[in-house]
Amino acid sequence: MRSSQRHHEVPTASVPYPRATRRELLGLAALGVLAAGTTLARAANGQLVYASHISLAPTWFDPAETPGIVTPFMLLYALHDGLVKPMPGNQAEPCLAESYTASADGLSHSFVLRAGVTFHNGAPVTAEDVKFSFERYRGNAAGFIKEKVAAVETPDPRRVVFRLHQPWPDFLLYYSSVTGAGWIVPKKYVESVGEDGFKKEPIGAGPYKFASFIPGVELVMEAFDGYWRKVPTVKKLVWKVIPDETTRLAALKRGEVDLAYSIRGELAEELQRAPGLELKPVLINSPFWIYFADQWDPKSPWHDARVRKAVTLALDRDGINQAITLGHSLLTGSIVPKDYEFYWQPPKIPHDPATARRLLAEAGFRGGFDAGEYYCDSSYANLGEAALNGLAEVGIRLKLRPIERAAFTKGYSEKKYRNIIQGGSGAFGNAATRMETFVVKGGAYVYGSYPDIDDLFAQQAAEIDRAKRTAILHRMQQLVHERTVYAPLWQLAFLNGQGPRVGESAFGLISGHPYSAPYEDVRLKNGA
Amino acid sequence: MKQYIVRRVGYSLLSLFLLSLTIFLFVRVTGDPVSLLVEPGASPDDIETMRRQLGLDQPLWVQYGHFVASFVTGDLGLSFYYRTPVLELYFQRLPNSLLLAGVAMALSLLIGIPSGILAAVRVDGFWDSAGKIFSLLGLSLPQFWVGLVLILFFSVYLGWLPSSGSGSVAHLLMPAFTLGWYFAAAHMRLTRSSMLDVLGSEYIKLARLKGLPEALVIGKHALKNALIPVITLAGINLVVMINVAVVVETVFAWPGIGRLLYEGITFRDFPVVQGVVVIGGAMIVLVNLMVDILYALIDPRIRLES
Repeated sequence: MRSSQRHHEVPTASVPYPRATRRELLGLAALGVLAAGTTLARAANGQLVYASHISLAPTWFDPAETPGIVTPFMLLYALHDGLVKPMPGNQAEPCLAESYTASADGLSHSFVLRAGVTFHNGAPVTAEDVKFSFERYRGNAAGFIKEKVAAVETPDPRRVVFRLHQPWPDFLLYYSSVTGAGWIVPKKYVESVGEDGFKKEPIGAGPYKFASFIPGVELVMEAFDGYWRKVPTVKKLVWKVIPDETTRLAALKRGEVDLAYSIRGELAEELQRAPGLELKPVLINSPFWIYFADQWDPKSPWHDARVRKAVTLALDRDGINQAITLGHSLLTGSIVPKDYEFYWQPPKIPHDPATARRLLAEAGFRGGFDAGEYYCDSSYANLGEAALNGLAEVGIRLKLRPIERAAFTKGYSEKKYRNIIQGGSGAFGNAATRMETFVVKGGAYVYGSYPDIDDLFAQQAAEIDRAKRTAILHRMQQLVHERTVYAPLWQLAFLNGQGPRVGESAFGLISGHPYSAPYEDVRLKNGA
Repeated sequence: MKQYIVRRVGYSLLSLFLLSLTIFLFVRVTGDPVSLLVEPGASPDDIETMRRQLGLDQPLWVQYGHFVASFVTGDLGLSFYYRTPVLELYFQRLPNSLLLAGVAMALSLLIGIPSGILAAVRVDGFWDSAGKIFSLLGLSLPQFWVGLVLILFFSVYLGWLPSSGSGSVAHLLMPAFTLGWYFAAAHMRLTRSSMLDVLGSEYIKLARLKGLPEALVIGKHALKNALIPVITLAGINLVVMINVAVVVETVFAWPGIGRLLYEGITFRDFPVVQGVVVIGGAMIVLVNLMVDILYALIDPRIRLES
C-alpha cells in the first residue's frame, strides 16, 4: 500500500526524488518479486493449461510409434486425426474418412476421404498418405495387423481399400483404436524431414498444431484454423508436467493451471471442497479383478466354486469404491470394460457376508481358513488391502503381497503366482480380445481354462454374422460369471480437477478415454 | 610428478569404469522397462517387439559395450522414453540445475557460515543452541515435506509465489530455499566445528594476547582457516546439488537434472539414468583429480610420498 502511494507521488522534474532507505528498497524489491510471481501464475486469456501427471514423450507425437497404452492418445487427439476414431457417442466415427464400407465377404474395407481436408502445412490429406501411414506404422500390434492385410490399394486420391487375406471382423477396431495405424501423417513431409525431424516438428491433420516442446517440462500447441470438424475456440493449449500430486492441486487452486490430471484419495476430497474447483471423474476402460489362479487344481480350496463365490459375495465393493475413488468407479461385475463391443452385463453382485459364510461352511470351511497370499501390483495395494478386509470378515485370511509393477506383470504373465492374484487391464480391444488374453487357453494371463469356453472362442473368431458372434461372446462372459472364474472388483475411475475458467473440459466425452478429447470441443467460460 | 599424475589419471579412469559398470548393472536389477511402456495385459509379441526396438534382447555384455562405446564417443545413447539423445536432454536441463544449485548454494553459505560462526563464538550459549536446533531441523526434515509446506503456505494460503515451474525469480525462491536449507545446516555444523578448532589454536591465543580486537581475531585470523574445509565441502555439495536435487525438483516441477534422473528412474529409462549418473560421477572424479594434482603441485611431500 505504501509503495503504491509512493508510485502515485512520482515527482515532476522540479521536485527531487526522495531518497529511499535501504529497508524501503528491499521491501520494494520483495514486492516486485512477489508481484511477478503472482502475474506469471495466472493462465493467460485464450490459453488453457493442463497439469500433466506424466512426462510427455516425443514418441507420442508420432502415431507410427503408438505403444499399447492409452497415454499417447492424450496428444494424438490434438495433433493428428484418424480415418475413423473413437468420438463422443461413437467408438468408430468416420473423421478424415467421410464414409466406410466393408464388403459382404469381409475381405475388403473401403474408405472415402473427406474432401478439402488438409494437414497443418496446407497439404491435402490423400489416399497415398493413408497408405504410407499404415505401412510406416510400427507400434503396438503392428505385426499382427499387417499380417492380416494383403494389400492397400489407392484407386484415386480420395479412395483407399484394405484387402485382407481372410475375413477379420475386428479389422476396424484394430485400425481405428487398438493401434495408431489409422492416424494419418503427411507422407511428403515425413520423407522430407526424416523420422527424427518429424518428432521434433510434427505436422498432422488434428485440431491443434505443434508450437514448442521441452521434453519432460512443457508442450505448447496452437489452434489449427483449418480443422475440418470445427475451429477450436481455445487458441493455445499448454501442458505443464507437474509430477507431484499435491503440487498439481496447489497449481490448480492458484489458477496456474486450468485442468489437472490424476488427483486421488484425500486430495480429491480436498479438491471437492475447494471453492471454484470441480472434481471431474472419468471412467476408464480398466477393470480390476481377483483371479483364482489355482481353481483348476483339485487340491486347492479355490477349486470349489462355492469358495470362489464366497469371495465375490464377501467383497464390499461399494465401500471400497467410496473409500478410494469417492464412489466414482463403476461396479460392473465384469472383467470386460462396459463400453467394449460385445460386452455382456452380468447381474449385480451383492455384498452378502452371511451367504458367503454359509457357502464356506458348505464347502467344509466353517470358521474360514488361512488362504495364503494375495498378489497385486503395488500401485494398487490400497485396493488389495480393502478387499482383504472384506474377506477377513467372513474368515478368508489372506496375506497381501504387493509387488512392483514390472515384476508383478512379469510374474503374472509367466504364471509364477499361485492362489489369488489381483489383476487389471486397460488394454484396447473388445470382449473377444479380453477373453483371448484372460480366459481362453493359451492367453497371456491364463493359468487354466474351460474347454467349452475355449470352443466358443474358436467359434466366434470365425463368425462373420455379427448377431451370432455377439451371442457367442455373451455366452462366454456368462459362463465366466457363473463359474466365478474371476471375482470382479471395479472399473476404475480416473479423477481429475477442473478450474473455474473452464467451460468444457471434454473429460469423459469419449467413452473410456481418460483425457480431454476431442480438443476442438474444449472451451473456456469466456468463450476464448 | 609426471608419474604421480599418470597414476592419478589411471585411478580416475578406473573409478569411472567401475561406476559405469555398477550403474549399468544396478539399473537392470530394477526390472524390465518394457513392462512400463506397454499396458498391463499387452501381448507377449508386443512386449518382445518393444524389447527388440530398445536393444534389450541383446546379451548384457553387448549392451554394456554399446553403452561404453557411446560414452567414449560423447553420445550416451537415446532415451527409451523420450527417444531423444540423452546428452541433448542433459544439456537442456543443465542451465536450470546450475541456476537452482547456484542460488541454493549462495543461500546455504549466507545462512550457514554466519550462523556457524555465531554458534562457535557463543559456544553453549543461546545462539549455539539455536544453531543446533536449526541444523537439526535442516538435516532431519524431509525436503519433500518442507517443499510442500512452503507451497501450501506461500502459494495456496498467501498466494504470493507460484507453486511450481520455472521462468522467473519468484519461481526460484521456494525450491532454492528448500534445497539450500538442508545444505545450510550442513555448512553451519561444519563451520561451527571448524571455527572451534581454530579458535582453540595457539596463533589465535597469541593474537588475543597481543590485544587484537575480537572482531579482527574472528573475522580475519580465525575465519580464513576455518573456511577451508567448508569451501571444500561446498564444492562437492555444488556438484551434488546440480545432479541429484531429485526431491526438490520433483516437488516444485523444476526442470533440472534431478528431475530428469527421477523421470529416468520412474520409467526405467536406462540410458538416462546411466548418463546422468556417469556424468555426475565424472564431474566428481574430475574435481578430485584436479584437487589431487593441485595439492601435489603445492605440497612436494604429497608427490614424494606417492
